[in-house]
This record gives sequence, structure tokens and C-alpha cells, in this order.
Amino acid sequence: MATIATHIPAPPTRRVISTPAALTTLARRRFALTARTPREIFVPLITPILFAVVIAPALKNALHAGDAYQSYVAVGTIGLLIPLNMMFSGIGVLVDRESGARRELLAAPISRSLLVLANLAVALLVTGFQLAALIAAALGRGIAFHTSATGVAWTGAATVLFGVGMYGIAETLANRIPRQEEYIARLPAVAIVPWFLAGSLFPITALPQVLTDVAKLLPLTHALALMRYGLLDDPSALSNIWGMNNTTAMAALSLGVVALFAVALTMASIRVFRRMAVG
Amino acid sequence: MEQLTANRSFEPPSRTALAARTVSVTDLRKTYPGGVDAVRGISFDVAPGQVFGLLGPNGAGKSTTIGMLTTTIRPTAGAAHLGGIDVARDPIRARALSSVVFQDPVVDRSLSGHRNLDIHGRLWGVSASRARERTRDLAERLDISELLARPVATYSGGQRRRLEIARALLSDPDILFLDEPTVGLDPRIRHELLDVIGDLRRHSEMTIVLTTHYLDEAERLCDRIAIMHEGRIAALDSPEALLAGLGPEIAELRIAGDPDDALETLTRERLAGDDSFVVGASVVVPLHERGGSELISALERLAVRTAATAIRPPTLDDVYLRLTGDRLGG
Repeated sequence: MATIATHIPAPPTRRVISTPAALTTLARRRFALTARTPREIFVPLITPILFAVVIAPALKNALHAGDAYQSYVAVGTIGLLIPLNMMFSGIGVLVDRESGARRELLAAPISRSLLVLANLAVALLVTGFQLAALIAAALGRGIAFHTSATGVAWTGAATVLFGVGMYGIAETLANRIPRQEEYIARLPAVAIVPWFLAGSLFPITALPQVLTDVAKLLPLTHALALMRYGLLDDPSALSNIWGMNNTTAMAALSLGVVALFAVALTMASIRVFRRMAVG
Repeated sequence: MEQLTANRSFEPPSRTALAARTVSVTDLRKTYPGGVDAVRGISFDVAPGQVFGLLGPNGAGKSTTIGMLTTTIRPTAGAAHLGGIDVARDPIRARALSSVVFQDPVVDRSLSGHRNLDIHGRLWGVSASRARERTRDLAERLDISELLARPVATYSGGQRRRLEIARALLSDPDILFLDEPTVGLDPRIRHELLDVIGDLRRHSEMTIVLTTHYLDEAERLCDRIAIMHEGRIAALDSPEALLAGLGPEIAELRIAGDPDDALETLTRERLAGDDSFVVGASVVVPLHERGGSELISALERLAVRTAATAIRPPTLDDVYLRLTGDRLGG
């Protein structure tokens, strides 16, 4: 076995890209890939818009409910849009792994957590666009919202944090599930089933007690309650969860639950990515 | 050719620059979940500017070794240093020194060639002006200038591979890893790429570690070769030294009967040395100082019946066969 006899001086230093610059580069890459895959943007929009502008008014008429119910369901559709969009974003992770440039990115002189965070940033951005489209469609259909700056802040915080947590689930599943078909098969269970239990179409108190208790544990229930408080000035969903008189306290508690969900799932997704991406 | 060379200078490279181009591997091991021992404790050093080849058939552990050196595969045990930097303890700094061309296509297919190059340049900290200059030069040299605006999905296999090589060179790496760079390419493209890598070898100062199961590639490009077999290094030396071990010529005898019996007979008669071996129906006898005619004429006397005989210079395939008993299949 030949060996190198050369004396090795101090290890060399090469220019390493800064974290914000790396994050920006990765996010721009992900956005460029997403923009070239319109299904990732438009498919998640179809069902929520259908619910907001067709099914909500139809239910209002069929159930002889008032305009408030129409608004109630319209806000509920946000709780469908976010999980659907985040789960569709996870498909990009699978494509990257199976036939994309993921190994090149893993060989780059950057922290690997940035790959997850950049994907998350773009998923949130796309969700923002979709949310704007959904609300515009609802307003166009004559659905009313009653909001204020504070209400928008509660809604914004709930949307972002819930979106972050859902992306954590999508990224984790995309890294753990071997094939795209298997991932897509799990999508309805993750994105749609909780929606029916979380007070999207009716208050959680209308469910059997055991399911009401389950619903209170779902982050989506807390996120939707915050959105209804923020967009409709309706604290009843928060009361159904917490049963307190202080609305701000209930909102803060629900926001805490959603924040915990976001932090835990993001940390889990980064951990899973770092473990699964490197053989 | 100047285009391909990294930070070319007429001054001799500094000691730090030389140190950045060393590769050192000590007792590196990888056992995959399920107990598959892909790499079973290999050690080697690569000096600055050398082209080092890992030669072996599929499953020998070559790509796993490259994966561990590029930190895309986690070693089970052992150590690896790039430029003196421990790849396990300081992976980001180690990755900053190197680029890699993977065996399988690793590109963003829906993005243009330009975009793929741009992303690499940014992540490896190449300044915008330097990236532009390098892109122009590399694209010209690798004949992909006309393609760069198109999505990579429209490229042929050879075009995509050239793009990947251009991408790896964009950041002027001190160490370039090429994992089976020509596998799956048609012969013409393969030879063009070998020319490109040969140019790199002659005109740049970077260290290249390449894996291949093509003997001609290893012989043509590498300063030193490690022959890998079942996760171990079976031999490590220059191609010339590996070939010299078998002497100037070998006799390949296709035996009509049992080749093991024939080899035993030839060994007993001291016509075949300890380095002779059987492969399939053939007996291969390194001739060293013996003449081929002496051996051929003795066959009739010893009643060793042959279907065909050939006297020829040894190849790395013969070296590999002698060491492992397996044919490389390239």
C-alpha cells in the first residue's frame, strides 16, 4: 500500500456560501420546479374552491341555513386547502429523490436542513397564493367575512403554523415511503379524513362525545377555530374546544397547540430527512 | 484546454493547494441495513493531482466508497479525509473541496442546463462573474453551448452526462469524483468523454478519483488503480506495475478437456507457475521468461488437448482474474 509522504499543512479553507444565500438558492430552485409542475399548484385548489363556491351555497339552501353558514363552510375549506397543498408538495420531494438532483444537493457544502426549509418556504408561498385565490373566489360568490387587523393576524399565524406542521408530515412521509404511488395512496387519509372531524362543515360539538374529544386533539381543529375567530369574528369554535370566557386566552392556547405541532413536525421532518437521505 | 483548468497559474501550487487535493482513506467500512457488507475495510491514499481508479465489477463496493467520500453514504467504521479534513467530523468543509459526477443521472430535468449549472455555482460559492466565465468556457469545451437553454429532459444521455461533468467542474474542485462516468453511453460519446477526462488529467492540477469496470478506461486514465473485489482492495498499484506482475506475455489455452487437470499437468511439468489460473474452459499461463513456443510444443507431448491457443500481452482483466477468479465484464 503506497502512502503519501508529503507533509500536510493546515487544512485548506474554501469559500462556503452563507446560510441565507443557500436557502434563497434552494428556494428559487424549488419554486422553479414547482412552477413547471402546474398540477402541484392547481389540483389542491380544485376541491376547496368547489366547496367554497358551489357546495357551501348549496348546503345553505338545502339546509335552509343563513349566510353565516355559507361563511362558516368557506373558512372550513381553508382547512382542506392547506393539507392538500402541503401533501402535494411532498410529491416534489419524492421526484427529487427518485429522478432529480437530490444527491447533487446532498454533496453541496451546505447544511442539509436547508433543503427541507427551502421546500417548506416554497410550499408556504404557494399556499399563500392559493389562499388568496380561494378567498377571492368566495368573495366573488358573495360570501361575507368580518375581519380586522387583529383577526387577520390570528388567521395568518394559524395558517402559517398549521401549514408548517402539515409540510413536516408531508416531508416525513415522502422520505419514509419508497414509491410515489404509495405516497399518493396515503394522501386522502392524511389530508382529508381529519378535515371532516375538525369542525369544517359543522361544530365539533355535533359529533359523538368520543369524536369531539378526538377532534380537540387535532391541530386542524385549533387552526380552524382561530381562522373563524380571525375571519368571521366568531369565537364559538374556540369555546367548543376550551370552554373558557376569555377569548384571547383561548386563541392564544389554540395558537400554542398549532405552534407546538409546527415545531415538532418540522424537527421530525429534518431528522428523518437527514437520516433517510444519507444511506 | 485552458478552459478546463482550475485556477491555472505558472507558479507551482502552494503547499496548502496541494494539501487540498489529497484523499486519505483508512479502514473504511460500510454495512448496509440487512447485513450487506458493501465495503470491508479499505485503505488508500491519493496524492495531489493523481488520477486514482477504483476498478471492479458491479457490487465490488466502488460506488459505496465514492458515496462515503462525498458524504452521501454514512460509513459504518473507518475514516476518510479530503484535503486533511475529516469527512465525518467536518462534512461541509470537506464537500467544499470536491465535486461529484454520479453514476446515475442526477439533474433537475425540468430545468434548463443553464439553471442546473447556476444552482451548482451558487451552492459552491462561485462568484457570479466567475460562474459566467466558467459556464461559457466549459460549455464550449464540452460542446453543450447550444443546449444550455433547453430543459435537461430533452437531452440525450451523452449530452446530459457532459452537462453533469461541466457542472462538477464549474466550482474548480480540488478533488473530482467520477462514478462510472461513461456507463450506459454509446461508444462514440464514451470515447469523447474519455478524451475530456484525459485532457483534465494532463492539463489540470485537480485530483480525480474515478470508478469504472471498463479496463481500457482505467488503463488509459489512471495513475494508480485499486482493484476492488467483494468490498476489499485486492491489489493497488500503477497499471504498468499491475501488468508487469504477469510478465510481458501470457498464453491463453482453451482446453478441450478438463482445464483443472490441464493446469495441474502444466504446473507439474514446471511449464506453468503459481500465478497461472483457470477461467471457464481456459487456462491462462503468464510466461515471464519462458517462451510461448516452448509451452505450445509441450502441450502435444503432455497430451493436453486444446481447442485454441493465443499468446498475447496481459491485460488488467488478466490481473483481475488472477486476483479474484471473476471476469470484470466490461
